[in-house]
This record gives sequence, C-alpha cells and structure tokens, in this order.
Amino acid sequence: MDEIDSHAQGDTRRDFLKKTSLFTALSLTPVTILKAADQKVDERFAELFEKIPLNFTVNNKAYQLNVEPRVTLLDLLREELHLTGTKKGCDHGQCGACTVHVDGKRVNSCLSLAVMNEGRNITTIEGLAKGDELHPMQRAFIKHDGFQCGYCTPGQIMSAVACIREGHANSKEEIREYMSGNICRCGAYPHIVEAIQEVKEKGGTI
Amino acid sequence: MINFQYLRTTAVKTALNLIVKDPKAVFIAGGTNLIDLMKRGVATPEKLIDINHLPLKDIELVNNVLQVGALTSNTALAEHITVKQQFPLLMLALQSGASAQLRNVATVGGNMMQRTRCGYFYDITMPCNKREPGSGCGAINGYNRMHAIFGTSESCIAVHPSDMCVALVALGAQVVILGHKGERKINFSDFHRLPGTTPETDNNLRKGELITKIQIPINGFNQNYHYLKVRDRSSYAFALVSVAAALIIKNGLISDARLAMGGVAHKPWRLTSSEDFLKGKAGTTANFEAAAQLAMKDAKSFGENDFKLKLAPNAIVEALTIAKSKS
Amino acid sequence: MEKLLLTDETSMNQVFTEKDGYNHVSFLDAIDENDRVDGVAKVTGKAKYFAEYQLPGLTYGVLVTSTITKGKIVDIDTKAAKNAPGVLDVLSHMNKPAVAGYEQEGGSPMKIFYTDQIFYNGQPIALVVANTFERATYAASLVKVSYHKEAFNTDFKSSIKDEKVKKLQGQPPYKRGMEDAYKTAEVKVEQVYTMPVETHNPMELHGIIADWRTNDQVTVYAKTQGVKATQNTIANVFKIPVENIQVNSEFVGGGFGMALRTWPLEIATIMASKQLKKPVKLVITRDQMFTMVGNRPAAYQKIGLGATKEGKITGITHIAFGQSATYENFTEGVVNMTKFMYDSENVNTNYYVIPLDMGVPIWMRGPGEATGAFALESAIDEMAHALNMDPLDFRIKNDPEKDLAQNRPFSSKYIKEAYRLGAEQIGWKNRKMIPGSLIDGSWQVGYGVSIGVFNASRGRASVKGILKADGTLVLQSATSDIGPGTGTGMTLIASRLLNIPVDKIVFELGDSSLPPAPSQGGSATLSTVGSAVNDVCVSLKSTIAELAANSNMDAHAHFTEVLKKNNLPMIEVTKQSQANAEAKNYSMYSFSIHFVQVKVHQLTGVVKVSKVVSVGDSGKIVSPKTARSQMVGGAVGGIGMALMEEALLDNRYGRYINNNFADYHVPVHADVPEIDVIFIDKADPIINPMGAKGMGEIALIGFAGAVANAVFNATGKRIRSLPITPDKILQA
Repeated sequence: MDEIDSHAQGDTRRDFLKKTSLFTALSLTPVTILKAADQKVDERFAELFEKIPLNFTVNNKAYQLNVEPRVTLLDLLREELHLTGTKKGCDHGQCGACTVHVDGKRVNSCLSLAVMNEGRNITTIEGLAKGDELHPMQRAFIKHDGFQCGYCTPGQIMSAVACIREGHANSKEEIREYMSGNICRCGAYPHIVEAIQEVKEKGGTI
Repeated sequence: MINFQYLRTTAVKTALNLIVKDPKAVFIAGGTNLIDLMKRGVATPEKLIDINHLPLKDIELVNNVLQVGALTSNTALAEHITVKQQFPLLMLALQSGASAQLRNVATVGGNMMQRTRCGYFYDITMPCNKREPGSGCGAINGYNRMHAIFGTSESCIAVHPSDMCVALVALGAQVVILGHKGERKINFSDFHRLPGTTPETDNNLRKGELITKIQIPINGFNQNYHYLKVRDRSSYAFALVSVAAALIIKNGLISDARLAMGGVAHKPWRLTSSEDFLKGKAGTTANFEAAAQLAMKDAKSFGENDFKLKLAPNAIVEALTIAKSKS
Repeated sequence: MEKLLLTDETSMNQVFTEKDGYNHVSFLDAIDENDRVDGVAKVTGKAKYFAEYQLPGLTYGVLVTSTITKGKIVDIDTKAAKNAPGVLDVLSHMNKPAVAGYEQEGGSPMKIFYTDQIFYNGQPIALVVANTFERATYAASLVKVSYHKEAFNTDFKSSIKDEKVKKLQGQPPYKRGMEDAYKTAEVKVEQVYTMPVETHNPMELHGIIADWRTNDQVTVYAKTQGVKATQNTIANVFKIPVENIQVNSEFVGGGFGMALRTWPLEIATIMASKQLKKPVKLVITRDQMFTMVGNRPAAYQKIGLGATKEGKITGITHIAFGQSATYENFTEGVVNMTKFMYDSENVNTNYYVIPLDMGVPIWMRGPGEATGAFALESAIDEMAHALNMDPLDFRIKNDPEKDLAQNRPFSSKYIKEAYRLGAEQIGWKNRKMIPGSLIDGSWQVGYGVSIGVFNASRGRASVKGILKADGTLVLQSATSDIGPGTGTGMTLIASRLLNIPVDKIVFELGDSSLPPAPSQGGSATLSTVGSAVNDVCVSLKSTIAELAANSNMDAHAHFTEVLKKNNLPMIEVTKQSQANAEAKNYSMYSFSIHFVQVKVHQLTGVVKVSKVVSVGDSGKIVSPKTARSQMVGGAVGGIGMALMEEALLDNRYGRYINNNFADYHVPVHADVPEIDVIFIDKADPIINPMGAKGMGEIALIGFAGAVANAVFNATGKRIRSLPITPDKILQA
C-alpha cells in the first residue's frame, strides 16, 4: 500500500462541513453551518466525523469501533470497553499501572493512542486467566502477597509475565531492573520479585 | 488535547508530502514523548502523521557499518545480535533508559527527537524560552539541579535526556535524513545543537525532513567499555550525569578512546579533548583523572547543579576504570 | 478440630455479595489460610476501585486550577469551554448550586466555589463537565481566568527565621525537669535536621463518582479511608440527612493518609451532579495529586542532646517547625516520641507551624512521628558517636522502664529483645566503630539502627455477624481497607475463634450502610474493629452453646447442626467495641527497630540500601502474611523518605516543578533489597482481646534515621537534610 490509509483519515469538523453536501440540503448558508458547528448544534453529526474506525482484538475478542484520535488505549479500555483491570496511575508513562501486552509486548497503554493499535492484538489482565483458572503469575502473586492495595497489581502482573517471556528474569537483580517500570507505592517489591522468580523457576510456557 | 487529525501511511514519500503541506502537522512514531507533551499542552499539533508503518525498521550490517532503521524500537536495537557483539556500549545505554515498557515502543528516531525534561518546559504556566521563545528561563535562577554545565546560554540551560544518544555520539554514528531535496547525512554529534539564542530548536532536522537511518561503523570498541548512569534512584530515572566510555587497549596502552556525557548539556556531549589526551597513555587512575579534568574545562554551574562539577569528573574516572577493567 | 458440614458447595464460592454493582468474584482457586481474602479480585483486575463503576449516563469532570498563588479571581470566561463539543456545564464560584453548609461566610475548611479567593497555586477553581473524558479535558484548557494577584509566601526555609512571618503554636510546650538541660551536660549534641515536603501519591489517582438523585438522595463511589467520615462530611456540607447518603468504597488503591478527609474536589463533583442531575466522575491528574490532597509538611527541627561521659542521657530538647496553610491549619505529633522514648529526667519540646500560601497538609504514613524520629534518632546516633559508644549499647542503656512523660508503665514493650534479634540478623558485629572504614570495592559500607514508635489504641467500632446454617459467617463493618488487609485480618480473627475455615467467612467493608466504624488511620483498625469482631464471635459462640443446651445437644455440637435443629437459617449479632477501661493506667505503643546496611559509592555519592532488618514489637501478630507486607512496605516507604522523596516548589511562582512520577522519585524495584522482618509476636495484655497492636505507622517511623545513621557509619558524613541524594554526599 503506497497511499494514505483511507480508513485512518480523521477530518476536523470544519473540514467535513466545508465539503459535505448533507448540510446544504438543510438550506443553510455555509457561514451558518460553520457557526452551528462551533456551537455544537449538530453535535450528533459532527461527532460521527470526528471519529475514525478502529479494528483490533482485545483478549481474543474482535472489536470494530469508531474512536476520536485523541483517545488513548488506556482510556478506551477503561471507559469504552469497561475493561477496568488496566489502571490509570499517572497517565504519562511514569508508573506502569497501565501495562498491557500489544502483540505480545508490554507497553504503557496511557502513551498509546487507541487508533495507533489498528489490527493489533491486545491482552489485558482480564485476558490472562483461562476462565476460572488463574495464570501461574496471578497465583504466585497471591501466594507471595505481592501486593497490598492492589492498584498497581494488574500492571505488575502483565509486566512480570512479559519479563519472563523476554528472558529477563534470570536473577533477582535482573528482575528488579526489568520490573522497575512498575511502581508500587505500598512497597510490595520484594514479594513481587519472589513471585516472578518462583514462576520462572517452575519453568513451562507462561 | 484538541481533537487532532490522524493520518496513517505506509510510504515514506507520502509521509514527507503530508508533512510539507501542513505546518501544524507532526510525525508520530512511538509517541512516548509526544503524547506526554500533548497531554500537558506543551505540544499542540493539529495533525498527526503516524509513521509506524513505514518500512524503516530493518537493522543490517553493510560493509562493516550497522544500518539501523529509524523506527527500530529501543528494545529491538538493544537486543540485536550485532549490537550486543559490536556495540555493547550502546546496548548498556539503551537498557539504562526509561523502562522496559517504554523501550518496547520508543524508536531510535523518536529517542533522538525527545525533548528536554526541564520542569519549567513542562509547565505551560512557567517561563521557558524553549517552549515559548522570549518568555524567559525559569531554571537559570530556579531549580536547576538536573541542568546543564556545558554549552549553556543565557536563554536556556536544559539538557537532552537521552542515554542512547550519548552512546551513539561516542561511537561516531551518522544520521541519515530524507527530505524533498533528497537524502543527506550528518554526524551524530552535529545532529543536536546548543541552545544559543534559539533554544526552541533542539536539533538540525529541518521542517519536512525525516530521520530514516542511523549508521554505526564497527570500530572495535566492544571490549573495554562502560555506560555509567548516575541518578537519584537505581532505575527508571533520568541521569544526573551519565558517561559513555570505551577504550581500545594495546600492549598496555590506550590506542583509542571514546568518551561522551549525558545530563550535562543541551546535546549529548562528546569529550574529544579527553579522548585525545588518553591516546597512547596507560590506563592509570592518574591519567583518567587528568582526562576528566580536561573534560571539565569550560564547565559552568548554576547553583543547584554545582555538584555536577564534582560528579561529572568522578563519573568519568569511574566509567573509564570500569571500562578498563573489563575482559 | 471439628469438621464442617457443608450443605451447599456452590454458595461457598462467593466471596463478595452481589449488590448494587459490587464485585462478584469466583473463588475456585482455593486460597491458603493466610492469603489475602481479596487476592483473587486484585490479581484478576476484577476488584473495582471508585472510578470503575459504570453508571448509566455517566459524565466526566475535569478541574481548572489557579495559576497564581494568592489573590482574587476577577473573571472566569467559560464561553469557549461551554461551546466546545460535549460540554454540559462549567461550574465555578460564579454559578455554583446552593450548598446549605457553605452559606455562612469564612471559616474552615475551604469552601470550594464559594469564594473568589486564591489561597494557593493549583487550587481548584472550576469544574468542566462533558460527556467524555477527552472533551472535558480539552474544554478545561479553554477556560480563561483573570486574577488580581497579591504577594505571597511559600518559602518555609526563610520563614523560620523571619520574624515577620507568623508562627502558630502547634502543640503546647512540654517540659519535664530542667529546660535545655543538655546545654550543661558533659557531652552534648546540638544540631538541626530538615525535611522537605513529601507527597503520599498512592498509585490510584484521587477522585469520586457522585450520583445525586431526586429527593436529595446521593450515592458516591469514593476513594476514602473512612466511608462514615465521608458520609458525615457530605451530610454537613449539603445539610441532608445521613441516611440519604450512600458511600461505597470497597477497594481503595492506597491512601497513606491522603484519603482521611473529603477534599474540596469531591464536594465540587457532588455539586456538579446535583446541578446537572447526572452522575459525574472526577479523577484528578497526577500533578494535581501534589496540590489538592495534602502532603507531609516540610520540617525544621533542632535537637539538643546531653549525656554524661558514661553515656547516660541527661537532657533532651526538641524544637520543631512544621508547615501549614493559611486557609486551614494542620498539626501533627512531630515531638511526641521525644517525650518518652529515652530515659531522661529533663526533656522539653516545642512545636510551631508556619502558615504558608500552599495547599494544606494531611497526615502521611507515620505522621509527625516519622518526621520527629528522623531528627531524634539521628541525634541519638550522633551522641553515641561523640561518646565513642556502640549506638546499640547507648540505646539500651537509655531505654526507659516506664513512660516518664505520663508516669505510668508501658502495656508491653520488648525493645531490648528487638535490638538483640535485629542486630543478630543484620550482622551488627560487622559494623566498624570508626566511620568510613568498611570498604567493598568502590563502595563504602555502613550499618545503622533507629527506633520507631507510634501510639497503639483501640477505639469504638461496630460489627455485625451473621452466622448461617450453611456453615458460613458474614461479618459487616463500615471500615476500610486501603491495603493492609483489613478483611484478611478480621477473617483470621473470626476463623480462629469460631473454628470456621477462612473461605467460609466473608468480611464486608467499604459501605456506609454497614455498622459504623472509624476511619482507617493511626494504625488502629485491627485493634478497634478486630475487638468488635472478637466480641461478635464470642457472643455467637455463647448463643450457639445456649441453643445447643436448650435443645439437649452436645456442648461441642457444630453450629450448623445446632442451627438446623433449632430451625434457624441464621443467627445474627451486632457488637460495639469500646475503648478499654484499663488502658488509662498504661501507655500503649507499638515499637519498631530498623536495621539497615547501606553502600555508598565513593566517587558518585550514590547510596544503596543493601540490607534491611525491621523488627516489629506490635503485640500478637494476627495475620502473619499481611503483617509482613506492612513492614516491608514501610521499609520501602522509608527508603523513599531517606534517599529520594522531595516535592520541589519554586518559591518565585508558588508552583511545584517536579509534580510527576518521573521527577518526584519514589523507590522502584531496583532500589529495594531483600527485607527481613522479625516480629516479637508477644501479646499485649492490655490493649485488646487479641493482644495485637497496630503496625502501619511503625513500619515507616524511624527508618530514614536508620539510613542516615548507616550513611554516617559508611562515610563519616552526617547528612541532616533529607533526602540523602548523591549531590549531598559529594558536597558534604
């Protein structure tokens, strides 16, 4: 494909109104239309054209959505898809609470625009367990009490799983370094490290 | 954040066409800095051109020069076999930056383009000549503990926050840039610039240009090397001072040396006079200390960052000592 | 052990009752007795925090904040914001709804949207409500505010010595014996210790969802350490009956003190919901967490310490300055421990607060005491060094047999044992008396010790117990769990008393309709609520025994059989725990001893805490796993306090410049070594039936002093100003 992705074009409302014929049918002068747009008279129409399509998969479920380009993956998950296991801790990539897997890699969903995830596979904490069976990392976190308030926990667990998959869990020191992007204010760090080390040492595919 | 327009393309040419047409358009790659800046109102682009699908992710070795696509993620670069073998200094620098999550997304080009972390730059109510030319500098008489000691100007004392760039400048990399007039190549050390009277301009990339590649020549600095990052906590923090050091030692003498610092200037700060001093000398503490003192020649501090005048040379000595002791 | 007869397996698998949007979590993964009862909910993402409740028609609020530090709002231009897509309203003092409790002029606390006064930079002054978060955020950026600026003062340091700056008495002066006796002592230490503003910054952002319905009924989903306190505040502000207010706060993503009060931003959101007749959600930003929800105030402390050459303390003077706000006052127990922690005939303390044009502080973990302990425990170490004594010997020599401030015995205190156990575990014998003499490569190694202490108390709380014929027990109390594991502790108490497995017990909390309990703070929840749980269980047990006797059953018959025999599906009882009458004859405290080993890099000044042993002397341990986590968490907080935490405010502008998680450093994984926790685990005979004292505060109190003492032992450099960053080491 050599051209601009036709599905990924968002027009500003003004741009849209300038070229649309829909509104001329309402026999308004262009100036009035633009004014109406600014005053959100036709909010419902405008809203449609400020959004662009997004097709992606979250926890093995395909979604076809229309989203504003400024919506982050984190806010989309929490506010639109109601997958609130992914947490907002800082909204600036400085705490790791929002960590999800995108095509298998851990990322901060707060610094990713939802529309940039077209065609991608997202896994959130809700997609980690198999039905009622906890993922080994979830189980290990419970066993080692790797949390207190629980707010950073989904991010820690998603990061911990990736840490092992990446091959960066070979010692306590390495785990600590590669988990440092996930802040825990309750201070459960030593227990998180123990949990990761146990899962790693048990081996197997996680 | 305004509801900007979002465009995506898979062709470099289209990307360049789009950016040239619109003065309020910017490229977005990983977005780990740009989205942050947009959330804070520091960057206010009206159009984002998503370049993540451009074919600029390859890493290949051609005639002993590693060609790194600008959209290579920091993780992919750090984990690449040639980087591990030939440029372990770069690997260490990459690994000491940000977090595993951010490195998975942040690109080589984006890392170069990231903006300063100065607190006055980030708060749109404060004076900052970089963000709002002419508004003054909050840092010069304010909190400047993290700020520059080299190459400062009366309008800006901010530092470039990258670790990767410090290693790349030490390794003598080159930057390949594509614009409408075609391709041009500049030395990595010439890519970033000093603030002077125009601190709003971080680097020498022109409007409408795109970084396409980094080239790093294989140079033998893969035995005696170290990247030392001194910071307020053990990880996930910007450098107070960082040092990239690499030596080639033959028959007990240093035949070639590379030294650069981060956290001390508006650009990654290469220490060529210290490098030259070390050539032909033995790797003794005395020589390292002399090289470090040479590096500090034009240093100037601003109060809160006075300690860097001591920390910087100490860090150079420590990095050289560790580099020397390797292998 | 009695075997439980299970009648209905499936109903056992529910940990949380289904009600009004509450969680419903399957417990198929059986837990170990000591695991957290809400562990599965937390590791699966099913635990719902306040911002995660989906209400029909939910709208989003975003705050506009002042960009000046002091003065008056002249005008708020909301035209552009109101015209922006999706915006429903912009609330401010210019158009707020009537709030009955705010009608009177002046007074404290700050009445949001009822004043045009600016008290500090970052003060919330308007709330934009829109149909999406993004639209509200954008519209908030369009609000234009004009001000009349006034001169302000945010400079704590220079205010201390500036006679023109008002100082308030934070606590009455205290004197025992001679004032400033240290001045005439054979050996004396006189030093000043300082601390910057710290911020709680729990991982969960603060905020609220408010849903004001017709007939002045309001439901809020809050982030609070006390649902009843939140309920009462809302009742007082809006002058509506308490029964009209439902506060839900089942999961709280950390608090550390900042959720001990209902902040103006919460009131603003409730106002908006009332005005718009829609549910409104407000989640503040991380930078707003630095200005709107309190902090640990900066402190300047002078300690004078006198001793005989033999190492007997003869006098302690502790003069402290803290910081407060101009629009509300705040004080804490900075000088408390100085009064009784050491065996000294002569002690005098004084504590002042300086009102500044900044947001009002609030208790932060180990409030006051953590601040005071850093100064006192550093000075104690300095004195030991001056005397050329091992600090442990010096401490033990001056350990008091009774509380000299109150002139009464301690209810229990095993400090000497704690010193011994901790010293053994950390390897204190490896410590060198001469600072700077233990080297490991490029690093200097040192050991430090410090003590932490916090009042142990037992307040009043009610718990309802419902014992069912199906073998389950439901306990209910309007207490909170901000992380320590309240539900887990209560479940364990009940499990042991009634011999019911933990997975058959449900402890419901975080709901204002449950029997009342105090806010979670001051390390008192386990003691207070646990006592009521104890009383409930004792009562249930005797009721079962009575029923068994009446129906001619064996005294050991299982309660399920007794209930069935009596055709009772359940029995229930509500008990209120009271403060203990005997307590007034004793001083009740929890204690901790922190031992740390640090490594200090000789060239870069980097300090790493390389080993930690924290010993808790907090009575009987009820819940060993969560108790350990509490102590570990306190040590991590202590590493932050000692080495990195500092909120920097530019006094020229009155604004914080590092108000984010990249620049305000809290410890990350790589900063934290393995942490050994030792519990004395001996029951306190006075405090409560469990013999358990609290530990949330003592886990942190004293820790920073231990680090500073270890840094001195490693380097010979005494850093008296927190945090101990590389620059301070290099420049010392």
